[in-house]
Amino acid sequence: MVINGRRWPPKQVLALVTGLDRADFTTHQARRALTRLGFPAGRAASPRGRHPVVSRAATPLPSAASGADGRPALLTEALRPFIGLWVAVRGDDVLVAAPSPKEVVAWLAQHRQRAQSMFRVVDSEQAITGAAPQ
Amino acid sequence: MRFAFRTLPAASGGALTPWPVVDIALEGLAAAPIECLLDTGAPRTRMSAEIAPLAGIELPGDLTEEFYIGGVKTVGALARVNLTVTDGTDEFSWDAPVWFCDPWPHPFGLAGLEGFLHHFIVTIHAYDEYLDIEPEPQLQDA
Repeated sequence: MVINGRRWPPKQVLALVTGLDRADFTTHQARRALTRLGFPAGRAASPRGRHPVVSRAATPLPSAASGADGRPALLTEALRPFIGLWVAVRGDDVLVAAPSPKEVVAWLAQHRQRAQSMFRVVDSEQAITGAAPQ
Repeated sequence: MRFAFRTLPAASGGALTPWPVVDIALEGLAAAPIECLLDTGAPRTRMSAEIAPLAGIELPGDLTEEFYIGGVKTVGALARVNLTVTDGTDEFSWDAPVWFCDPWPHPFGLAGLEGFLHHFIVTIHAYDEYLDIEPEPQLQDA
């Protein structure tokens, strides 16, 4: 579960909040209860790697931008492990991440997937705005 | 068609400022539309030359220009490309000049006047972090 921008195991969260023993419910039940309360859920994804990796969010939101209610956008958090990499996304899912667009496109072709967008996840606003000519 | 601003995570935590983007699919690379920053200050539509071969586009050696972008001196090669935007429901395609640049300093393409803005009526809802585009009626009738 993503709470205040950090990932937490859903069973740990639900056990703390309700006082129930973790053995009394499954991860799926915990995730479902928390997502119904409005907390985004995301499956843990491998950090940066040489090979493309897949991360699929469990509860896609309709918008890729921050919600008007102030909830953290699911895609934004799903992208965090992939800073510096090229990614292909669809909705709030990160389909694949890789060091180059060529590898991303190859993965999409191999797995017959179609992305909504492909871009590199930058780590600073300077990378977006650039610098003035010298 | 409506496009939400995109928000990326900041390495230091939190998120970067959301920015207005449209995802533009090149003919030959429909499976991976390229994120392009809506750039009303850009006279042309430009993207990384790295993308061209992935779409099967051969860049001519004679139609090039040098310019600075993002503080970096680069060389752009011109190609006419069929482009498509979709919001998942509606779809619009058009033929446009695109400059493929090497080196390319940005993590996205730039959707500028020629190649993109000339083809659409664009309404930016910056406060609510989304933009609407609709095909230019004069071009649809042409």
